[in-house]
Amino acid sequence: MNLMANILLNVIISFLVGSVLLGLQRKVMARIQMRPGPPIIQHLLHTFKFFLKESAFPKTAAMPFYIAITAMLCVIWVAAVIVGPVTEGSLLLFFAIYAIHKIVEHNAGSSSGSPYGKLSCVRAVFSAAAEVPLFAVLIIIYLKTGTMILSNIVTYQNQHGALLLSIPLAALMFFVLILSKSPYSPFAITKGKDIVSGYETEHFGLLRGYLMFSESIAWYMLLWIFLTVFIGGLNPVGYLIGMVVITAFVAFINALTPILNPNHSVMTQVTLAFIGIVGSVILLLY
Amino acid sequence: MDKLKAVSWFIFVISVASILYALIINPPNWIVYAISIVFIPLSILSFGLLSMARGKKEEEEDKRKEPFIGY
Repeated sequence: MNLMANILLNVIISFLVGSVLLGLQRKVMARIQMRPGPPIIQHLLHTFKFFLKESAFPKTAAMPFYIAITAMLCVIWVAAVIVGPVTEGSLLLFFAIYAIHKIVEHNAGSSSGSPYGKLSCVRAVFSAAAEVPLFAVLIIIYLKTGTMILSNIVTYQNQHGALLLSIPLAALMFFVLILSKSPYSPFAITKGKDIVSGYETEHFGLLRGYLMFSESIAWYMLLWIFLTVFIGGLNPVGYLIGMVVITAFVAFINALTPILNPNHSVMTQVTLAFIGIVGSVILLLY
Repeated sequence: MDKLKAVSWFIFVISVASILYALIINPPNWIVYAISIVFIPLSILSFGLLSMARGKKEEEEDKRKEPFIGY
């Protein structure tokens, strides 16, 4: 297939599947909380709807940075699609993409000029300090498989079995990272309802739709990486089932857990990272 | 046509043309990656800037006011 067509197809699939999965998450959460909840396609419909809504740019916004930062989020997750499903490249690039995602959260908040955005911007730095150590999972994967290249990790798993079974604590660390990025998560301090919508508060209308587009791709990609790195060798149906199961599980956790305050959130993540790193090293040694 | 709309049209046309170029001509891989990373996001953003509804000129100033200046 033509490379550009392949990239476009993967971007469209990741957006559509990611949107529906985020809708599914809200639906599962609602049912657990004894509410009917919105339709599963609501996230997708909202994304399209926001593109047509009346938009105005706040006077306090730092233009053109206020708009450019939303494009940056899309750039990094389109890059993730290329590194992931299209080329099966290096996991290190995902680390870079995730780090930039945290910077985008920070700068989207600060560029808006809103106090809620600014508070979220400070929290993004807080949470980055906790989430980046969780990415030490990459070192453990490297120590176990001897490679950072996704296609080689899949080949390794075909020969030695799923990494989920051999380095379960590393999988747990990555799962916490996925959980941190899900809406209504106990670790979602950058979007805590105490600060309205956090760094997205002043990004409404078209820009909100644009952010939601990127977030759908981000959600799909995080699940895709988890399934590829820790189970490996799945066909499209396997990926879909895996993504639905993880999303439902995340929804279950989010429905039953309040959003932690920033200090507790960071300490919980750091503690889990510490347990994951030390435990995985011990498991690798024995 | 205001400045934002003119710039959006310009970016949208350039983005779509670049994507079509990569689809039809099949250039080297690094060019396709560069086009994808830059112009797919830009095409969506510029499309959004063109498709979004705009309020009345006289109401726009009120909507742009940030109620929390001074915090």
